[in-house]
Amino acid sequence: MNEKELRRNQKGVSYAKWGYLFILPFFLAYFVFTFAPQVLTIYNSFFENYREGLKQVGPNFVGFGNYVKLFTPDKSGTINILKYAGNTLILWLLGAVPQILIALLLAIFFTSYRLNIKGQQFFKTVIYMPNLIMASAFSMLFFTLFSNVGPVNQLIQAWGWSDVPIDFFAYKGTVRGLISLMNFLMWFGNTTILLMAGIMGIDQDLFEAANLDGASSVQTFFRITLPLLMPILVYTIITAMIGGLQMFDVPQVLTKGKGMPDRTSMTLVMYLNNYLGGSKNYGMSGAISVIIFIITGILSLVVFRTLNKKD
Amino acid sequence: MKKLIASLLVLVLVFALCAPAAFADEPEGKVFNIYAWNEEFKGFFEKYYTVPEGVTVNWVIVPSDNGAYQDALDAALLNQADAKDDDKVDMFLAEADYILKYVDSDFTQDIQALGVNDFSNAYKYTVQAATDANGVVKGVSFQCCPSALIYRRSIAKDVLGTDDPAEVQAALSDWDKFNAVAADAKAKGYYMTASFAETFRPFSNNCTMPWVDADNNLQMDPQIEAWMAQTDEFIKNGYTLTAGVWDDEKNVQMFADGKTMCFFGPAWYFNFCMGNAQDPEKGCSGDWAICEGPAAHFWGGTWLLAPAGTDNPSMLADVMNTFINNEDVCTKLVANEAQFSNNMAVNAKFAADPSYGSAFLGGQNDVAVFSEMTDNIVWQNHTIYDQLLNEGLQNSLQEYYRGSVDQNTAMENFYLYVNEKYPTIVTP
Repeated sequence: MNEKELRRNQKGVSYAKWGYLFILPFFLAYFVFTFAPQVLTIYNSFFENYREGLKQVGPNFVGFGNYVKLFTPDKSGTINILKYAGNTLILWLLGAVPQILIALLLAIFFTSYRLNIKGQQFFKTVIYMPNLIMASAFSMLFFTLFSNVGPVNQLIQAWGWSDVPIDFFAYKGTVRGLISLMNFLMWFGNTTILLMAGIMGIDQDLFEAANLDGASSVQTFFRITLPLLMPILVYTIITAMIGGLQMFDVPQVLTKGKGMPDRTSMTLVMYLNNYLGGSKNYGMSGAISVIIFIITGILSLVVFRTLNKKD
Repeated sequence: MKKLIASLLVLVLVFALCAPAAFADEPEGKVFNIYAWNEEFKGFFEKYYTVPEGVTVNWVIVPSDNGAYQDALDAALLNQADAKDDDKVDMFLAEADYILKYVDSDFTQDIQALGVNDFSNAYKYTVQAATDANGVVKGVSFQCCPSALIYRRSIAKDVLGTDDPAEVQAALSDWDKFNAVAADAKAKGYYMTASFAETFRPFSNNCTMPWVDADNNLQMDPQIEAWMAQTDEFIKNGYTLTAGVWDDEKNVQMFADGKTMCFFGPAWYFNFCMGNAQDPEKGCSGDWAICEGPAAHFWGGTWLLAPAGTDNPSMLADVMNTFINNEDVCTKLVANEAQFSNNMAVNAKFAADPSYGSAFLGGQNDVAVFSEMTDNIVWQNHTIYDQLLNEGLQNSLQEYYRGSVDQNTAMENFYLYVNEKYPTIVTP
C-alpha cells in the first residue's frame, strides 16, 4: 500500500456520494418535468401568444400586460380573477372542513383500543372506494342524477315534495353544494387513512398512561392525540389545499365548463382552461398559472405558520 | 451557404408539392387517416366505400364538446408537414359552423386539381360553403341539410285540427303565426318546442350580417335579437323548456308521452337525435311529419375536406366523388340511412316516386319536402367564429332563461366568454 492510499483510508470512507447518486433520478425528473415547465410558464406569461382560427398571433413580448389585463376590473367593477379565486377557496373549504373533521373522527374510532371496532379492513376499503372512481365519471354520474329529468328529481316528484323539477344547476348554493359533496366523498377516505397512520405512530404507552390517570376521551384527544398528530395534520391540510386550489375536473364536468350559475362555480383552473381551449392562449393562461402558484405559496405559508406555532 | 440551403429546401418543397400530380401512378400511402367528431360518417364509409387493397383506414374520432375536436385537428394539421406519411391527415370532416376556418386557410387544398370536378348534381350552397375567398373548392358535403319543422301528428291534430303537412305549413308559415299557435298549444297543455334554443337556427341562418364587422366589433344581428325576444316570451309563458338543444330533458319529450309539438331538424336529425321517438316501446314512430316551417334554414351538414399534404390524393378524390356522384351510393344513403343526399338527380328520383315514403313520418315523402326547401337556402354571413359564438350565446342566455341571472348579466357573461376565446374581437 503506498502512502497516498493510506492517507485516504485514514480519512474514512465517505458514503455521501452514493446518497447523491441515488437521489439524482428524482432531481433529474423534477428538473425536466416540473421545474423547467414552471420556469417556461413564467416566461410565457410575459408574452402575447395565441391562435385565432389557424393563424398564430405572437409570441410578442408584452411585459406585465397579461397580468394587468387579469387585474383590470370589468364593466360591473368586478376583478374576475379574484372572483374565481374566491369561488375556488369557498368550494375547497366547503368540502375540506367536513372532510378533515370526519376523517379525524373516523381515524380516532378506528385506532381506539377501547372501541376496538371489528371489520376495520372492510370499512377502510369502503370509505376509500369513491377515490378509485375517475373524477370525471363521478361528475357525469352526479350530473345525470341531479338533472331536471334525473332520478333525484323523479323521486322528489314521486314523493310529492315538489310538483315541478328542482333545477339544481340554476342555484349557486346547490351547485357549490354538489361540488363540495363530491370532493368530500372522494377524499375523506384517503384523509382518514393518512390520519390513522399518524395516530398509530403515537406511542401507545401515552394513551394507556392517560387512561390510568383517569383522563377522559376528550382530554386524551386534545392533550395527547392532537398535539402529537399536528405534523401529519398540517401536511394533510396543506396537500389538501394545494389540490383544492387546483380544483378542476369535478366542477368542469359537472357544469360542462360553464361554472354556472353566473360563473359562481368557476375555479381558477377552469378559468385558465377557458383561455387554452380553442385559442391556445399561452400568455394569459401562463399568467393565471403564475397567480395560482403565488396564491398557493402564500396560503401554504400561512397555514404552516399558524398551525405549527411553538408553544 | 444559408442561401444555398434555403434554395435547396424550396426545391425539395416544390418537388414534394408537384410530385403527386407528376407521378400519379406512384404508389400512395398505406394508411388513410380520417379525422371526425362522431361515428356517423364512419358508418356510411364502412358500408358503402370499397377501400383500395393494401390501404388501412385509420379513424381519429374526437368529440366536439368544448371545441376539443378542432383542437385535436388543428394540432394535427399544424404538424402535417413534419408528420410521417402514415400519420398525415388524409381527409377530415368539418361542420358548417366552422368550415370557413379550414377552407380559408392554406391547410386545405384544391379538390378540382385532385380530380373532383363534377358538382352539377350537388346543391349550390354545399359547394359555396367549401369554396374559399378566391373561388377554390376545397371539399364536398355528402349530405344536404335543409332543416324542417318536425311535428307530432297527434298533437297537431289536437291543436290545429289537422296533421296534413300542407295545412300545418299554412298555419305555421311565419313567426307571428308560429307564436300564436304556441299560445293555442299551451292552452291545450302542450309545449310548442322543448328547448329554449330550438328556434335559434331558423333565425340565425337568416342573419343579414356576420357576427363581427370589418373592424372586428361583435354585432348582434336583428335576427338574433328577434330570437331572443321570442324565446323570452316562450319561457315566460311556458311555451318551451329551459333545456339546451342536446339535453336529455328535451329528448325525453320525443317519447310517446312527450308533450311537445315542434322540433327543428334536417334529415340527419331523425336517426341521430330522435332515438327516443324511434324507441319500440316508449317511442311514437309514425306519429311525425315535416313541413318547411316559418323560416327556411339549414342545420349542420358534414363536409369532407382535403388537407394539404395528404399522401393519398387519388383515394381522397375517389372518396369524395363516391359520396356526391356515385348514384348507387347516394341512392343507398337515402333509401337505407334516411339521409337527404347531396345529389339532386338521386333525390329527384325519390321525390317523384309515389311508392317512396318514410315510415317514421307516417308515410310522408320527406325527400320531396326537403327538395323543395333547398331552393331557399343561402350561404351567407359566415365567420370563423360562428361555432363558439353561437354556443357561447346560448349557454349564457340559458342561465337567464333558467332564472339564475338577469338578461344584462347573461350578456356580460357572454362578452367575457368571447374575450377569453377571441382576444381580437371587440365586445360592447
